[in-house]
Amino acid sequence: MFRCTTALALAVVCTTFAVAANALPNSPTALPQAGSPQPLQILNRGNGGEPESLDPALVQSVESGYITDDLFEGLTALDTAGNVVPGIATGWTQVDPTTWQIDLRPSTWSNGDPLTADDFVYAWQRYFDPQTAAPTASSFDTFFLNAPAILAGEAPVTALGVKALSPLRLQITTAYPVPFFPEILAHHPFVPVHRATIERHGKQWTKPANMVSNGAFTLADWRVNDRVTLQRNPRYWDADAVILSQVNFLTIEDHASEYKLYQAGELDMTRGIPAGSFPRLKAEPGAELKSIPSLNLRYFSLNNSDALLADKRVRQALSMVIDRDILVDRIMADGQIPAYSVLIDGIAGARVVPYEWAQWPMARKIETARALLAQAGISPGTRVKISYNTNDLHKKVALYLAAEWKQKLGIDTTLENMEFRVLLRERNAGNFQIARDGWVADYRDATSMLTIVRCRSAQNSNKNCNEEAEALMVQAQHAPDDATRTDLQTRAAALIMQDYPMVPLSQGTQTHLVKPYVAGYGENNPIGRQRSRYLHILAH
Amino acid sequence: MFWRSLSTLPTLWAVITVCYLLLHFTPGGPFDAERAMSPAVLANLQAKYHLDLPLWKQYVYYLGNLLRGDLGASYRYADWSVNELVAAAAPVSLLIGGVSLVLSFALGVAAGIAAALRRNSIIDYGVMLLSNIGHTFPSFVVGPVLIVVFATTLGWLPAGGLQSGDIRYYVLPIGLLVLINMASISRVMRGGLIDVMNSPFIRTARAKGLPLRTIVLRHAFKPAVLPVVSLLSPMAISSITSAIVTETVFSLPGIGRLVVNAAINRDYTLVLGLVVLITVFAVVLNLIVDLCYAWLDPKIRY
Repeated sequence: MFRCTTALALAVVCTTFAVAANALPNSPTALPQAGSPQPLQILNRGNGGEPESLDPALVQSVESGYITDDLFEGLTALDTAGNVVPGIATGWTQVDPTTWQIDLRPSTWSNGDPLTADDFVYAWQRYFDPQTAAPTASSFDTFFLNAPAILAGEAPVTALGVKALSPLRLQITTAYPVPFFPEILAHHPFVPVHRATIERHGKQWTKPANMVSNGAFTLADWRVNDRVTLQRNPRYWDADAVILSQVNFLTIEDHASEYKLYQAGELDMTRGIPAGSFPRLKAEPGAELKSIPSLNLRYFSLNNSDALLADKRVRQALSMVIDRDILVDRIMADGQIPAYSVLIDGIAGARVVPYEWAQWPMARKIETARALLAQAGISPGTRVKISYNTNDLHKKVALYLAAEWKQKLGIDTTLENMEFRVLLRERNAGNFQIARDGWVADYRDATSMLTIVRCRSAQNSNKNCNEEAEALMVQAQHAPDDATRTDLQTRAAALIMQDYPMVPLSQGTQTHLVKPYVAGYGENNPIGRQRSRYLHILAH
Repeated sequence: MFWRSLSTLPTLWAVITVCYLLLHFTPGGPFDAERAMSPAVLANLQAKYHLDLPLWKQYVYYLGNLLRGDLGASYRYADWSVNELVAAAAPVSLLIGGVSLVLSFALGVAAGIAAALRRNSIIDYGVMLLSNIGHTFPSFVVGPVLIVVFATTLGWLPAGGLQSGDIRYYVLPIGLLVLINMASISRVMRGGLIDVMNSPFIRTARAKGLPLRTIVLRHAFKPAVLPVVSLLSPMAISSITSAIVTETVFSLPGIGRLVVNAAINRDYTLVLGLVVLITVFAVVLNLIVDLCYAWLDPKIRY
């Protein structure tokens, strides 16, 4: 109770901050662009919440990921556009469908030790070791040979499908053919870690005095709830291309406070923008607001086992009548894009096939939806329940859905708000009828999105299952080429979505404020990982 | 006094136990995430933090560690122990809360005395206006306004954060807390002093021809400040350990933000560690206030 009250109080406080921030005067800082770098190369980045860990095996959140992206570099990495580029690897060869051979460039750790293939083997074995209890391991274990068994304690870590053929050559065996495997290798858990440091310092190895890393920056300072300071690593293999000498990641959860620091010139980049400020910031001169579509889907889960929602016609009717254009423009008003599929723009390995009715006039959608409900024996006045976590935006969206269903279908709605962790527990346990949900793809392949609607997936809150689509997905795993694989996965996604397991609403965007004198910002990076090695400060 | 101190131990134990049980019975756990974990990963995590043991065993384990001064490992901040997190946040909160408390006491008492002695004058109205502002305007409105005026517009002070050794970062948060605390202190001090000044012993002092300065400082001050002293303990707790709004507005790495985030994240050990800290702090403060009572009012004996 205490914590629910606290969360509620915080939500009220944050809302009021947002309102206060909107009432504040604007101070456009359209500074002249100059081509030459500033002599003092210190970048201050707003980074959201406190990073939960700087140990790559334990990283879960975006805020931790941003920092470890700068501290460590894996075999592959992402460039400013989010494309896969060589990192420590100089190249990769798919020897057979499930075997990858990767050559490493000669490079060193920040303490001068040579970096070898054994460092990768150690890092990955450690990641899947049950003792490490890596929280994200279940997102990636499917790719690596024997990883699920290792995680469950049924096989030793040495059974993992990775071995060092020589100090600069690595061989990886995947559990099945994974054509997008180089992108997986760019993820945080698959960077190397320095074994001697971890064995000497244990849990303390991520502290500034102890950490040895191999990325473009080293850890100089870490003050909880305040900032993490990184300094340029002169031993980084591509150190000559790194211009920034220092990066400060500031911990600021509240976007209104962050915005004020940005206005006062104490931040060069923000992590987000205050709630409700998108239209105003977008209209400001100087184009400091960056709004980039991300691999993020906002949707509502439907409990497919619920007595009312077990009927596909009811689920379809509920999905059809929601005017997503009004939803994203007027209700969410934060730059989102309407979504009519589980797949979103920027995803590879399948084509986005929106519902055929997406372009119909609303009157036709309503007529069809009413007919569907009549066929299902649902009369006006029937009641459904929407559950969402306490948050102003989620409340507005839930109210909008309720209004749409009431006006267009005569369906009544009960709104139930709860604290975030309570919603997660209830949703995972299936104790809901309709629940707010969201998903950010781990990687660009369609399988990362389809995991939320696949049979027996831990991420599937709807608990829907289309065995025919499942068979297509398994077939796609062994497809001889990319085109066949894409076709199979597109068909699978379309089949699943014809069951209306959930209500896709919108594709998310990342919104940041970036000062005009920050160069190198990736304007078209759907992954959103803006590595500091590409950024620098222009003279201003 | 020794026995009085000892009698606080059961209070501490009761607070820890009740909080422990409340936390564990609150729905939602530390590892519930938008990205559901597989049973194997969840089991590994629970084993790592001993959450796989029966609740009573977890409780005994926790109390055992607590007696050794170990507050455990944070579930959310995997690289830190609760001791480290508390040790990092406490000095910030103590400094900002402590300085603001001392300043607001000094300024509030002085303003209260001035208002009481010049009732219905411009000084009185001025002090009461300030007090009303401090009472009625919530800190989440005054804080951002201070930032807009002094940081964004005038550029005199930083908008938030902390830089060790740079006093400018402390001015706005301390100023905000002083404004809030002064509002209560000056009002209570004014009321207390007006009451005391109307009592018979002050009339006697006046009749003896003592100067006003002596009457106020030697005779009236002690009884008049008693209600302010009883105000100080809860005020200190709210300024030092629960200044959540101030810490959020100014992005300060203090205890308030840590408590809220720990509760939201179901970081059981961190919440408990902070509850222990806040309880000990409250107990010590109440002891100090009791000692002050005895000094201010000779009728009170322990």
